[in-house]
Amino acid sequence: MADNSITYEDFVKFREFFYRKTGIYFEDSKRYFVDKRILERIEATNTGNFRGYFNLLRFQASGDELQHLINAMTVNETYFFREEYQFNCLVNSILPYITKTKTPGSLIRIWSIPSSSGEEPYSIAIYLTEYWTGLKDWDVEIIASDIDTNILKKAKEGRYSPRSVQYLSEGILKKYFKPLPDGDYQISDDFRQAVEFTHVNLFNLTDTKPYRHFDVIFCRNLLIYFDDQSRRQAAEVFFDALRPGGFICLGHSESMSRISSLFKVRKFPEAIVYQKPEEL
Amino acid sequence: MAIVKQRQASPISQDERRHIRDLTGLIEQLSDPNPIARRWAARDMANYPDSVSALAGQLDRETNGTVREAILTTLMLIGNTDAVSALVRCLRSEDAALRNDAIEVMKNMPDAVSMIIRDLLRDPDPDVRIFAVNILESLRHPDVQKWLIEVISNDKDINVCSTAVDLLAEVGTEDALSALEALKGRFSEEPYIAFSVDVALKRIKDNG
Amino acid sequence: MSKKRVLVIDDSATVRMYHRSVLEAAGYEVSEAINGIEALEKALAVQEPFDLYIVDINMPKMDGYSFLRQLRQQPIPQVPAIVVSTESKTHDKAQAYEAGANFYLVKPIRPDDLVAYVCLLIGQGGHQ
Repeated sequence: MADNSITYEDFVKFREFFYRKTGIYFEDSKRYFVDKRILERIEATNTGNFRGYFNLLRFQASGDELQHLINAMTVNETYFFREEYQFNCLVNSILPYITKTKTPGSLIRIWSIPSSSGEEPYSIAIYLTEYWTGLKDWDVEIIASDIDTNILKKAKEGRYSPRSVQYLSEGILKKYFKPLPDGDYQISDDFRQAVEFTHVNLFNLTDTKPYRHFDVIFCRNLLIYFDDQSRRQAAEVFFDALRPGGFICLGHSESMSRISSLFKVRKFPEAIVYQKPEEL
Repeated sequence: MAIVKQRQASPISQDERRHIRDLTGLIEQLSDPNPIARRWAARDMANYPDSVSALAGQLDRETNGTVREAILTTLMLIGNTDAVSALVRCLRSEDAALRNDAIEVMKNMPDAVSMIIRDLLRDPDPDVRIFAVNILESLRHPDVQKWLIEVISNDKDINVCSTAVDLLAEVGTEDALSALEALKGRFSEEPYIAFSVDVALKRIKDNG
Repeated sequence: MSKKRVLVIDDSATVRMYHRSVLEAAGYEVSEAINGIEALEKALAVQEPFDLYIVDINMPKMDGYSFLRQLRQQPIPQVPAIVVSTESKTHDKAQAYEAGANFYLVKPIRPDDLVAYVCLLIGQGGHQ
């Protein structure tokens, strides 16, 4: 039987710990939401009360419970045009900045990791096609990677539920998707062939070595689930995968302040992104 | 122009990783004039625990922050006592970025750090003792509270003690209560100690 | 008159809480950041710039000096900064001023001293 009381001091102690780990800060007004989820995790982990649970969270060597909890505290749903302000930033600020310093006609490389079932890399492809006038002058390569081979298979198929495409305009849906008899939508073959899907384990040096010379990396809602050591390793991989001056975009609830000091903070009108220094 | 798939193989062969990747080759690369080559050498050395002395030597000379970060990451991954000794030296550096990066890395090395933490907590330099308490913050080790109680009971430096109190507010149990009360008496003229001890006491009692 | 806004940058939650309570009592509005990177993110994200930064030196990911050096290059209105440190070595002080600090104070700081320095740099807190 779980002791289902979380005092205000417990809440504050938890809030500070969670803030230090993730950068997510819960105001007092979120207390009900936070308490409810902690109580669910106390129950699921059989830790009995807040103190037992907090000890597990702090001292568990694997860090698995922290991952579960972050999952419970954040909405982790993937759909087309999720966090659209970043794609806006890509076409209106990042790419214009990059093309200023690149030799015309050279290739622009974008890495989407984790690709998950493909919504993010296909969103980038659609966004560039629809909203970036530079596409008539530049070739762009989009590489999408994930550690999960099943999800990569799904991504290559490109079939999506109505829920996953709900934020796309009628026009875009008509233009780039084919309605299927079961109510799902399949993204057009042009896009399926344009995006390259690959299998990558970020912690395998042999896996990640070939990933080089990217101009932009999208790595959204992944690093927040990693422990400090893994974040540090992942940051090294991304740093070396970028060209000097290249950019990395994180998810909206993620902050580089919990990940790495290798990158510079850059403010664009649409978003704050991170940049590899032009010179090492 | 359009969205395209790769026209050529990844241009990896043309660059800084072309050299021989055995330990002798890597050690040579670690002092290459090009910082990118040094970074790659440092990263690839994670597979060679014997490379610690070369990494430590380079750390003393290295001026490029991104290379130093790679060296520290590799020392963290190697994780043996030699690696920890190299990191302890960084705590005494005049460079704040290096000191703090060493603290972060050591937080992830519970086994190797637990062997030397008591010495660090008794170091003559109060700043090093503060860093030692900082390392305890995320160190997953069962003796953390015991060490913190020793600090607040014995250390003469107010900032070392207050750093330990901050952490006790998070990890402390009833076992820490009397030492916290005593500390308040020891620094009765200091408003910050009174404030932070009260925070810690409230958290611990409320939790019991 | 709107309240003057101070960003407190320190990795210790208790120190942030302490500075907040002292400065709020004196009529200032206080925001917090856990290290230099988060402070830069906050300084760049806000519509209305902060009036003052109170910066610790030893912090994970980005220390106080690196923060000040990068802050001073950002295309935002530049405002004063007080460096607060446990270290009293002279080279640290010199580094702090070189990086763009206006004052260098050694911890622990008494509440009335903190308010006095803040007031000296940006004037009194706004009305309650």
